[in-house]
Amino acid sequence: MADTPEAIRKSIRTYLIVGAALFVCTVLTVMVATVPIFDVGKHGFDTYDLIVGLGIALFKVTLVAAVFMHLNHEKKSIYWIFFGSFFFAGALYFLTLFAKKDPIRDPLFYGDEKSEVSDMLASPTLR
Amino acid sequence: MEIPYIVTPRKDTGLFNSKIAIWLFLASEVMLFGGFFSAYVFLRIGADFPWPERTLPVLPGLINTFVLIASSVTVVFAWASLKMRQWGRFKLFMSITVGCAALFMVLKGLEYKVKFGHQAVRLNDYTIIEGHLGKEKDAEDNYILDHNGKKIEENLIKIQAKSLTFNTVRFYEPWVEEFLTQAEHQDAKIALAANIEGTDGFSDGGEKKVPDDSIVYAEEGEPLTVELLEKIKKQHRKARKKNADLRTKFLRAEWKKVNDANPDEPGWKLVDDVKIDESAFKDEMLTEFGTIQFTVEPSAHFDFNPSDIREGATQSRLRDDTVIEGTMLASPMVFHDVDAIDFQYLAMKAVEKGQDPMVVIENSWLIKNHKFAREAWEWNKEQVAKLEKQLEEDYGFDKKTGLPNREPTEKERYRIGWKDFVAMSDGVDRGEQNIKLLEEFKGPDYDGRRNAHTFPHTSIPREQVAFASKFTPKWNNYYAIYFTITGLHGLHVIGGALVLAYYLFFGRKMYETNPEWLANRVEIGGLFWHFVDLVWIFAFPIFYLM
Repeated sequence: MADTPEAIRKSIRTYLIVGAALFVCTVLTVMVATVPIFDVGKHGFDTYDLIVGLGIALFKVTLVAAVFMHLNHEKKSIYWIFFGSFFFAGALYFLTLFAKKDPIRDPLFYGDEKSEVSDMLASPTLR
Repeated sequence: MEIPYIVTPRKDTGLFNSKIAIWLFLASEVMLFGGFFSAYVFLRIGADFPWPERTLPVLPGLINTFVLIASSVTVVFAWASLKMRQWGRFKLFMSITVGCAALFMVLKGLEYKVKFGHQAVRLNDYTIIEGHLGKEKDAEDNYILDHNGKKIEENLIKIQAKSLTFNTVRFYEPWVEEFLTQAEHQDAKIALAANIEGTDGFSDGGEKKVPDDSIVYAEEGEPLTVELLEKIKKQHRKARKKNADLRTKFLRAEWKKVNDANPDEPGWKLVDDVKIDESAFKDEMLTEFGTIQFTVEPSAHFDFNPSDIREGATQSRLRDDTVIEGTMLASPMVFHDVDAIDFQYLAMKAVEKGQDPMVVIENSWLIKNHKFAREAWEWNKEQVAKLEKQLEEDYGFDKKTGLPNREPTEKERYRIGWKDFVAMSDGVDRGEQNIKLLEEFKGPDYDGRRNAHTFPHTSIPREQVAFASKFTPKWNNYYAIYFTITGLHGLHVIGGALVLAYYLFFGRKMYETNPEWLANRVEIGGLFWHFVDLVWIFAFPIFYLM
């Protein structure tokens, strides 16, 4: 980590470049979402927009974390602490996958296949 | 006591203590916000309504993103200035950082304010209308104010009441006073329907206690006052306590009797044999007054906030359990500026039922009953047709299926937003309307566009209203998670700014004692500040652009 005054003086330029890159990436994110010629994938919001939008966000986050938060040259223990938490946060996302297996969405869950509730739950929007 | 390792690193970790601490804290924050973003994904995937895509104005979000990025750069410059022992530059950069935090919160506050004032209503057929309600005025064209001094929206439930029944425990004093004020304006009297009488004690009548003669606590015709309700409440509570004690006493005796008769049986087997027989101590019980009825003479009409009442044709109930007997009068929701009509939900429901959404929309209540809606819908159909043609020309057809490669979105097909109303008013196609920069920021300039009649005025009968709310967490899950995540993020901005402001205003002494100490502190505060920026980097595209 840049710790001496000389090393820090040299880092100032890097900080400015990263700041500028963050501004440019933000504008790019907005353009991809709002300007038709930059629209990737199909017309309107779709999976491609999601991937590109979150991809740019991830790039910005990496820049902030690596340069501003000095994670590019940090002690190993910090990596374990910080990135370890992403494992648990990530696990929360995988919990959503279980929603598809939720028995409440099974038309036979209430026992009667022909019940009004079963019909409603079997509708295409809920399945 | 001197805290160790706040400037120099510990030998075993190679880090100063507060650095380890802040990273542990940030790790917990990753899991906190990770949980909320996971909730967002869960709610969006499982939404049983059309998720509002790209619904928030982008400009305020974009400016706020710039503001936070700028502050992230300046906070790192502030730290670098301390490392280079430049106190003046540190103050400058830290001031900009704290200023950016304040600006962020002001912009966020404005954004929230717009949401809290924006009305939405879902009709019985799932048509959604958005806009701004009018304000109630009196005969002299002055605004009517409520007991808090606020203007009242033209969204009141009006009931011609002939009697009111108060719950003696739950009645809400300001509402009682509101009844009295409204009745007074109409020269109506609210008076007790019947005597409130009962027993209040016992005298020793020899072998058995007998109740005193019945006492009249309030007489028929006595006018409604808060004091009267309080008096009855007191008596009611006294009676409830006394009667509860009698029941408990009887129950204990019963349990003892049953247990003694069946000493080897467990309690759960005996429970059915233990019952409270109130007739055994009926003479000792006091009279309870759970509710008291008042008549309104002559019958008068009262106005209620829709969120305070569950209205019915002949009987309604307030949130404090006051029952109002009387006829509901016409109580429309009056929109002075309709700024969006949304048929996406209706179309979704039509598809679920196997119906043609276009046919269902054209038979919807709004289209059938309102000329402006018919005109807007026809305009929208033209725009969708033009867009379809344009997309076909630009992107062609799929060779295998023969279907167009790109098609208008559901939102373009079924939603007529405020910018579309402006385009209609300007007589141009969708997307070619003239929008002022301030409008991009805080929504339509209703007053400025009043003369052009850009936004229609309409009245929605109460019986057509299925659900109504401002753009608050109550409206749908999108706004619930939006306010949760951005609100929590806002609290982090405030917390971080307070810490950084402390270093700015009170850091001089620390700097003079040991500049490295303050530099370390600012580094720690800065790490938190960068984390706040990281959260926003994800929140911005998720809520504003997707």
